[in-house]
Formats: sequence, structure tokens, C-alpha cells
Amino acid sequence: MANTTSPSGAARTTLTLLGSLTGAALLGALHSHARPPPATRSPAKAPVPDPAAANRAARRLNRAAGTLAASVLFDSTVEHYRGQFQNRAMYTPLVTAAMALGVSAHGTMDERQTPHVVRDTVYALISIVGLVGTGFHLFNVRRKAGGFSWQNLFYGAPLGAPMAIGLSGLLGYLSERVRETPPGQVPMIWGLPAGRVVGVVSGLGITGTVGEAALLHFRGGFHDPFMYLPVTMPPVAAIVLGRSALGPAGIARRATRWWLRATAILGLSGTAFHAIGVGRDMGGWRNWQQNILNGPPIPAPPAFTGLALAGLAALGLLEDHPDD
Amino acid sequence: MYDNPLTTPRATHGRAPDVFHPGGWVPMREYPQREAVDFVVIGTGAGGGPLLARLAERGYSVIGFDAGPYFRPLEDFASDETSQSQLFWTDERLVDGANPLKMGANNSGRAVGGSTVHYAMVSLRFRPEWFRSRTLLGYGADWPLDWREMWHYYARAERDLAIAGPVSYPWGPKRPRYPYRAHEINGAAEVLARGAEAMGYQWSETPLATVSAPRGDSPSCVYRGFCRVGCATNAKQSQLVTYIPRALAAGAEIRDMAMVGRIAVDAAGRACGVHYHRNGAWHFQAARNVIVAGYAIETPRLLLNSATDRFRNGLANSSGLVGRYLMTQSNQAVYGVMDDMVRWNKGPPSLTITEHWNYNDRKDFHGGYCWMAQGPLPVEWSAAMSTSRRLWGAALREKMGDYNHQVGLKMVGEMLPHLDNRVTLADETDRYGLPIARVTYSWHDNDKAMIQHALGEMQRSLELVGVRDLWRQENDTNHLAGTARMGFDRETSVVDADCRSWDIPNLWICDGSVFPTTGGVNPSLTITALALRTADRICVQARTGEMRK
Amino acid sequence: MTERNRYPGYDVLVKRHSPSWNEATRRVMDARLGVPREPRFLSRIEWDTLVAICDRIIPQPKNRPPVPLAAYIDQKLKADARNGFRNAALPPQRAAWQIGLAAFEVEAHQLHGKAFHHLTTAQQDDLLRRVESGRIDAPAWGDLDAALFFSEHIMGDIIAAYYAHPTSWNEIGFGGPASPRGYVRMRNNRRDPWEPVEAGPGEEARVGRENRRVR
Repeated sequence: MANTTSPSGAARTTLTLLGSLTGAALLGALHSHARPPPATRSPAKAPVPDPAAANRAARRLNRAAGTLAASVLFDSTVEHYRGQFQNRAMYTPLVTAAMALGVSAHGTMDERQTPHVVRDTVYALISIVGLVGTGFHLFNVRRKAGGFSWQNLFYGAPLGAPMAIGLSGLLGYLSERVRETPPGQVPMIWGLPAGRVVGVVSGLGITGTVGEAALLHFRGGFHDPFMYLPVTMPPVAAIVLGRSALGPAGIARRATRWWLRATAILGLSGTAFHAIGVGRDMGGWRNWQQNILNGPPIPAPPAFTGLALAGLAALGLLEDHPDD
Repeated sequence: MYDNPLTTPRATHGRAPDVFHPGGWVPMREYPQREAVDFVVIGTGAGGGPLLARLAERGYSVIGFDAGPYFRPLEDFASDETSQSQLFWTDERLVDGANPLKMGANNSGRAVGGSTVHYAMVSLRFRPEWFRSRTLLGYGADWPLDWREMWHYYARAERDLAIAGPVSYPWGPKRPRYPYRAHEINGAAEVLARGAEAMGYQWSETPLATVSAPRGDSPSCVYRGFCRVGCATNAKQSQLVTYIPRALAAGAEIRDMAMVGRIAVDAAGRACGVHYHRNGAWHFQAARNVIVAGYAIETPRLLLNSATDRFRNGLANSSGLVGRYLMTQSNQAVYGVMDDMVRWNKGPPSLTITEHWNYNDRKDFHGGYCWMAQGPLPVEWSAAMSTSRRLWGAALREKMGDYNHQVGLKMVGEMLPHLDNRVTLADETDRYGLPIARVTYSWHDNDKAMIQHALGEMQRSLELVGVRDLWRQENDTNHLAGTARMGFDRETSVVDADCRSWDIPNLWICDGSVFPTTGGVNPSLTITALALRTADRICVQARTGEMRK
Repeated sequence: MTERNRYPGYDVLVKRHSPSWNEATRRVMDARLGVPREPRFLSRIEWDTLVAICDRIIPQPKNRPPVPLAAYIDQKLKADARNGFRNAALPPQRAAWQIGLAAFEVEAHQLHGKAFHHLTTAQQDDLLRRVESGRIDAPAWGDLDAALFFSEHIMGDIIAAYYAHPTSWNEIGFGGPASPRGYVRMRNNRRDPWEPVEAGPGEEARVGRENRRVR
């Protein structure tokens, strides 16, 4: 039957399946609210900081930074190829994201308690590159006809994208700070408990990524109801994470954990959603030269996964090192 | 074996082509010829399509007739200007007058879906004052309609066609957000934007009926740029892929390759059916009501060709105005060359627009105009170059070499209605033995003043952004309107506000031919909104018993 | 004739099996490229005149196979494929072409004592310009408005036939058929890999290599 409102055939089936899976993750997250918080440990009996805990948290952060870097690497490769590397600076995110990916892999496997000077330098450098990249993208949008118009926000250089690589660097940088915690001490960053700092950074990162997804899904007219997921689920995760990071040390984090896990899964299923979207475009995968570039960006959604992993690392830090 | 829709009707045996799948079919209800259906709709374009869908959805038995073939774009449309003339009305019409019109590819479709199968998808609303241009602006004629009511139907048409438009439109009263976001603009469209900014005018992405994200079985636009010779991807939201499938799903029948030659009138002076030619023979379909939606040439031609002893001057023509007040729109352009590699054929041709002179009344002529970016394909471009610049030989080939550097701005301007611009019947007959139309058109002083104003403005705009080798295409027109105008009384108009003819109570006319004035924007969205309103009015009148009076 | 090739090495037909062409396009283009090169509607004399006229309206370089323009006009007349409108001052297109071509012959004989296709190109151009501006005196034109015939048919039909041919698309750098694959890069100075590169003076060899990779 000719149908003018929803896709038909295999695409529809797969979309439904994926949606159900993501929905199940969401339900899991919601459900965990309903249960009373289990009395795991009382604040009075805070354990002595476990020297391995800091390293574990640091490696989790390396993994988060690496996931984010991978997303940026593939996404910026596709997008800057589309832009024909018109400007030599457009190779920067490829190089930096590849470096971030490399050092993050190294960090994830590194069980030593001390920061690594190369990792540390690369992460710090990448944070700055993110800021500079944002400046470049702002300039690109501003000089187009119409300036800061919807047209240029939709189709010009994406303002939020360079921040993702910056975030990857920042998370890595934080991981090095956590790693350098002397044995027996609570990890601190800039004089604040590390778990809280990482939690706030991850929460803000998720919020920014939601902004980017909202802009681009608005550009796509939210033509598919599943396009509302990344603008509804991660914000909740960001809020509960923020509450965990800023609130009293003893509050239940079980719900936060579930929301973050759901967000991490959402990031991965988003990739599958986008791949189906590419297949639905004119000519499908046979027309990949066009549809990879003009269709939904396949590598973009795992940015949520990376940030959710960072949030989970923050939760781990908060639980391992209650600060009051 | 390729089943050729131009030689054999496809909508037969209880099924119609599934436009979304090569070789596919959808079930279609069929009505017997001898039993009167509630409505026969003649023409399936911007006027007929919405009527078919809405009336069928309200439970009426409806048949849509179209003289043209029933295409499946995915399998029938080549990326080729010449062969895609299969979409155009190429049967002969005579043109004369001081400024003979160009028909065919320019403004006349012949396919299920009508001209919307090849239109440029520009979906604009009238300026509200144009519905009262005589009273408020001092020219033309008033419409017997309230703009606020039209605003409501425009919004519905925009939803139904999933118009991709800007987040906020700079001109006119507030309108709901367009269902889809505007498309990325191309280099040629950016020239309009920069030029408008240099002149201090506002510009906008043009609201277009081609989707910027998937919609059902329509994939998003791939910017192939062949829009005006038919969309081979179904991204274009033509009647063929929107209202017509809706109509079929609701129980309407479509008869493709069915040329209606005559509307029959019974002894009581009411329309009682149509004589149509299909599969090499004439047939008769009985009907309780007839709606003509054949556009500004075929509608008056059919009414005039249906003359009887009782209606000697043709049907619905006691006013003598059927065929009169034909309007086209001025479609002049200024073109030039840039050093940049533009490749203006990429993307829909009219991605940006300025309606500045539609909404600004500080000018010394009546009516308004807008201008839009351009991106003609090679055959169309060579025709524009050669006729406007009198170029042929080596000179033409050399200038054509600049194709990828070319940019241009093209106006759509309001021409005023004149009694003597008209459609009449010629002595020649067509392949069905029916007298063909003679289309007589002359520009008047106001039309010429507007054209000169627009050419000057467009040229200045291009000069300001450094476009060089400018030249003017002075002699082009496009869309049609008039020839069965609506109005307030039976002496000065053919139909009333509900598109119902004054003379024959069960005969409606619903397409661009009812426009009393044509406005300075492309007419298709207004035709669609009007058809949606007419469908609603018919349902109201049926309920109140007014239909049988 | 030497002329600069702005898109050296570009051949739109290479894209025939790429996603830029769909089945309908291949069907149509196969028919176009396979047009019979002999007259099927026009007489031999009319054909010779028409070929000569086409050579002047669209002079073609000698270093490539010419677009058989006269064949497309003959094909259009044989099918009687019309445009959908006709200036009331002109007869139907078949009659217009037949009267017009015959009148060219009469004019050529009156002015130069030779058939039109035996005139020098300068003489041919001169005669074409006379017809274009309506400066004709042969009664052979009858009721046919020569200037109108020139703009509507001589120019209109021949030029449209040329720019419907892939050879002309190579010449002007037109991307050609585009479905299902359309275009990605919409802004100025951006090129999709399946679009040709334009060569500036002296760049022909390098650009030629690039354009041979366009598919």
C-alpha cells in the first residue's frame, strides 16, 4: 500500500526492533527510580581509599576519552572530506583525534599509578585544539550570507563539534590528575573531589551534545519519532548525574547509574539508527558516496556513549571516595 | 518488457500504479460507467488532487480523469530534459497576440498529478491584501474570499505537502512553522542572498515542496536539479505522490489516459456526466456532480467545447467571461557570470527568494513581484541564451562554455487581468477531433512598467555582488491564471467563492482559472488551498441540503 | 577549428553504470546515441540543406565525432513530436520545415546559383542572417514568416537537439544525468568526485588526468 507517513518494509522492522531495545534500556532506567535505594554502605563506614581505585577510575576515564575521540575521528573525517579539506587546518581534528585515541588506548591498558608525560601533554593539547576549532567554526558560520541564521547553523560548520574533541582531551587530562593521586588519598582535581569535577564535566558534555543532536534532529524535522530519544534521555542522565556530582555524598546513585548506562546504549543504537537512515536515502547503500555524507552521520551518536562512560567513571569515583 | 504508460492506461483492473515501487501496484476501487458517481473530477493536478483526496475521505464516490499517463517516477523518469517532455502538454495550441505565450514545458502538464509533476515546487502564500486588491490596493479585482480563511487552508496544504521552508518567514502575517526545515542553499542561491543584503532587502530560503528529510516512502532530496523535468526520486511532494495515493486509499478511482471532451448536461440544465476518450474509443461516465480542474487553458476549452443548444456559448458562460481575463506571470531574468565555479544546476532551482517588492508599495505600478535564484539545465539554458541574445554559431557555443559559472535572478511578477487576454476555440482540431485552444495575450503598460522595474532591481543586485557580463532575458512568462474567474455575482464572474458555477449548480471549477488576480508568487499552493477549501464547502453544502438547490 | 577544451578528459558517458544513471536514463540515452543517421522524413535535398544549416547554427570541431543534429530534426519531424504551442503565424512544424528548407534552396540558387550546401560558409551565414532578420524576397516563403521560422525552428530545434546530447555536456562541464545519485557539495568552488574539473590555460594535461577519474 502506498504510504505517505512512515517507512515500509525491512527499514520499518529494524527501526521498530532498535527502538524497542533502546526503549527497554530507557524503561530499565525509569524502573530503577521506583525501587528503594539499597543500603549498600553507610557514610559512617567510609572505606579507606583503595590505591587501585584511583587507577581504575583513571582508566575508565581513558576509555571514555577514547570512545569520544573515536566518534570525533570518524565524524570529522567524513565531514571534512565533505568539505574537501578546503583549509589545511581541517586535517587537525583527524590528527588530534587519532592521537587522543592512541593515548587513550594506552591509558586504558596502563595500570601504573603515575601520569604519563606524553599522554598528559597530548590531552592538554587536544583540549586547547577543541577551543581553537570552535573558534574556526564560529568564524566559518559568521562569514556566510545570513550570519548566525538557522541556515548556517544547520549547514555551516557545526559549532558544537570541535568541543567534542576538546572534551575528550579534558576527560583524558582529568584522568591523568586522578591517576597521580598518592596512595591512600582521595583523588582531588583543582582542589575539588575528582568525582565531582568529572561528574560536572561529563554532565555539561552530555548537555552540549544534546544541544547538537537537538539542532540536527530539528533540521531533520524529527521525521522519525525515535529522533526524540537523544533529546529526552540524555538530558535526564545529565540532570541526575549533576545531582549526584553536586549533591550530598550519601545520596543514592543507582538511578543515575542506570540512566548513564541507558545513555551509553543509546549512543551505540544511534549508530545503528543512522546506518538504517543512510540505507533509506535515495539509492541506499549503493549510493554511499552521497548518502554517507548527506544522510544521518553514522559515527556521531557514540559521543553520548563516551560521555556516559565518563559519567559512570565519575560515579565510581564518588562511590570509592565519599568526600564527607 | 517495459510497460509504456503513454500508450496504455495503467489504472485499470482494480489496481493503480504504486508510485513508490518500480512495477508496484496498489488496489483501486472502480465504478461502473452507467451508475452515476457522486463526483467526477477532471484533472488531477494542484486543484483536482486535493479534491479527490478530501471528497473520497469524506465517503463520496469520486473518479479523477486525467488526459495524461500514470507514471511511476522511479522507473519512468530519466535524467534528461528532452525525453521528459513526456510530462508536458504537447498537443498543439495556437498562441497569438502582441506577446504570444509559451506553453508546454513552461506551464502545462499532462500526467496524473498534473503540472505538479514538473513544477519547481515553490510553495508561497499570497500577500493577504491581494485577496482585496481592488479595494485595498486599487487594481485588479477582489476575491470573494477572506484571507484569514485562506490562511487556514494554506497551513493545511503546507502540512499535507510537507513543505520545507525557513524557520521563520520574513514577510506577511505569522504562519505556522513549515513541517520540514529549509534545504541547504547552493552557490547560485547565495548570490541572491548577498545581493539582497547589499540592497538592504530581506531574503529567505524558498519554501519548497521537496522534503529535506525522509517522509514515508519519499527519501530526502538528493539535489540532482532535474526538478522541472520530473523528480525521479519522489522527494518532490507532487500531487502524484501525496494526494493521489491518499485518494486511492480512500476509495477514489483514477482514469489515466482519459481525455474528457465534453461535459453532458441533462434536460434540467444540470451536469449529468462526461464524455471521455480512452483506449481508442469514446465513453460516457454518469455523475451527479462535475468538477473541472484542467487549468487555465483546458478548463475554458472544455467548457466552450461542451456548448449545447441551451448553453450556446459554452457551459457556465452566461457572463461571457469563460476564457476571458487570462493572466500569466512575468518571468524575466538577469543573468551573469562569476569567476567562482558555481554549478548552478545542483539542487532545486529556486532555493532563495526575496519578496521585497510584493510587500513594499512604494512603486509606480500596480501589483507585486518576487525574484528567485536560478539553475536551468543545458537545453533550457541554451534556449534562453539563444533567443534573448540572438546567439547562434560559434558565439553561442563559446558562451555556453560558461555554464558552470553562470548565475541569475528570475522574477515572478503579477500581470493584471485584461478582458482581451483570452482563450478561444480555434478552427483546427486535435487527435480526438476536438477544437484546439487559441491563446491570445498582450502585455499592457502596467505589466511593462513592472518588468522594467524588476529588471533594474535584479541587475543592480547582481552588480553589487560583482557578477559580470550581465544580460537580460526580457521575454519570458510562466504560470497561468484566470479564464473562469470567481466573483461576487453572476454578471461579472463565472464561479462563486465556493468555486461553484453560477449557471449550473452541480458544476464546479477549481484550479488556477478561477483566480481573479494572480499575485506576485507562484500559484500552486493557492490552488491547493483553494481546492481544500472547496472540498470542505462541498461537504458543508451537502449536509445543509444546499447542494440540491 | 582549434578551440580550448575547458573540461579535457571528461566523458559523461563513463558514468553510465555509476549510481548517477538509472535504467530509464540508460534507455533514453541509448536511443539518443543510436539515432539513424539517414533521413526518414525529409527528402534528400531537404536533408542536405538541413545538414548545412545545422553546421552553421552549431559549428562543431573536427577532432571528435559530430553530434548528428539533422538526424534529430528528422526524427522529431517523423514522430511529429511537438512543443505544445505554435505561433498562430506559423503552419504546423512539418509544413514549416518543409517550406522553410525549400525556400532556403530557392534563395541560395537565386543569390549564388548553387545549392545551399554548396555555398561557402560565409555565404551560408549571410543567407541565414537575412532569414533571421526577415530580409527575404523569394516568393518560395509564401505565408511563412521567415524570421519567426528562424527563431522558433532553425534556432529552437537545432540548438535544443545539440544541448540534449552528451557530447555537448562534456563541452560545458555539465554533470549530466543524476539519479539516484545527485549532488552533495552545494557551495561555490566545491566539487563532488563525479563532477568534472575545469582546466585553466596550460592545465589541460593535469586536469585531463583528473577528469578521467570522474565516474
